[in-house]
Amino acid sequence: METLDIATPQMALLYGLCLVPGLLLWLIGLQLSRDIGLSILRMTIQLALVGIYLKTLFNLNNPWLNGLWILVMLIVADLSILRRAGLKARYFALATFSAVAASVLFSTIYLVILVIQPTHFYDARYVVPLAGMILGNCLQGNVIALERFYSAVRKNENEYATYLMLGATRWEAVKPYFKEAIKAAINPTIASMTTMGLVSLPGMMTGQILGGSEPWLAVKYQIAIMVCIFTSTTIAGIINLKLSLNIAFNNFDVFREEVITKTS
Amino acid sequence: MSPSIRFDQVSVSVNEKSILSGINFSLFPGEKAVLCGKSGSGKSSVLKTLMGLLPVTQGLVYFEEIALSPLSVKHVRSCAAYIGQEPIMGADNVQDALLLPFQFKIHRQHRPTEKQIVDVLQRLQLPADILKQQSSRISGGEKQRIALARGLLLGKTLYLLDEVTSALDTESKQAVFDVFSDPGLTVLSVAHDLDWQERCDIIFELDAGRLTEGRRHGNT
Repeated sequence: METLDIATPQMALLYGLCLVPGLLLWLIGLQLSRDIGLSILRMTIQLALVGIYLKTLFNLNNPWLNGLWILVMLIVADLSILRRAGLKARYFALATFSAVAASVLFSTIYLVILVIQPTHFYDARYVVPLAGMILGNCLQGNVIALERFYSAVRKNENEYATYLMLGATRWEAVKPYFKEAIKAAINPTIASMTTMGLVSLPGMMTGQILGGSEPWLAVKYQIAIMVCIFTSTTIAGIINLKLSLNIAFNNFDVFREEVITKTS
Repeated sequence: MSPSIRFDQVSVSVNEKSILSGINFSLFPGEKAVLCGKSGSGKSSVLKTLMGLLPVTQGLVYFEEIALSPLSVKHVRSCAAYIGQEPIMGADNVQDALLLPFQFKIHRQHRPTEKQIVDVLQRLQLPADILKQQSSRISGGEKQRIALARGLLLGKTLYLLDEVTSALDTESKQAVFDVFSDPGLTVLSVAHDLDWQERCDIIFELDAGRLTEGRRHGNT
């Protein structure tokens, strides 16, 4: 079963659908036409470029090129995590990169080599989209973990100092905030797994069904990706926070304010 | 006898703002000292510096004649108890708050007996049934005495007290005074309370981060 192509006139018809929300927004007095137009244009250009790049990547199917693409994704994710968590990249870039790379590569390699078992383990059709999906979710989790943890450390400065004065090591003193941060980071994935299929059909599964896969096969891939997302988010969050503890605190176990980019 | 605490030309800056400047003083074991001065004069910063919570930009802080370092600060923290105006309980109920430090590896083997707990509470004029109360329900003065009880149960010998008698009634204050009459306990405190100042051996005056005067009680 093949997916039906969408011809150019039909694509134009699709864009035309945006006129309906555009008109409604205009009627209620929301002047968003410029933002909407710009976002649709950006989406089209970005996805077209990704389409061209992925087509080339799939055609060449070179392990080094695939690896390089994943490396670029990891670097972009690394910087994005730190920017969104309000931490300075010059202090944390290596720690975050190591944690995210280790967990995403572990989950992807596990999934591709042991579970899916394609002819070539580096097959771009499997490695690139799966690594991308795992990384995208891992990114969200790590932003939440870092942001929650360091907000809590700063907000509870006196409590943290009290723990130290009561004999706690740095690790013992931050452990309550650490646990809360990891819980917050993995909660969205747990909630998503809990309601999957009931509240909405997951994107990957829908894509596969539209792509011509049997529903049962799409279900198995969806389960596989969710397990890997959960695994990599948990591993990356824990390693990332653990590594960051050596950077964010000085030798006297005091939080270094200079490592953050924003004040709250 | 060597001093328990010694500040040698200590200056502290935070975000390039001078907090303490050229502080010099010594405190011997068993002595009780009070830091006085206007709000913002750096009194609490002296305590925080000794605990290793503020960066020393110049000079040296000594505890038991060992210069404060990332390694030695652990010893300071194991000997010193810090009690502020509104101590952090760290647990929902008072009993858990009192036993909180005994969850940490360093104290795990030294969990106090029930008798030891009751004795300490009695010394501080606290009823035994306070242990069953919610931490959020007890008064500021009771929190201070629970924090003090925690220090006593841990066998701390140095007490860093920040306005610790501010929330206490006369009877409770007397109980705290009695506890600190023990010659084995060294006290460095911050207090506006004249009764407290009266009972201390040494009074240090601070002004804009500088130590302007240090006098033994009764001397001028």
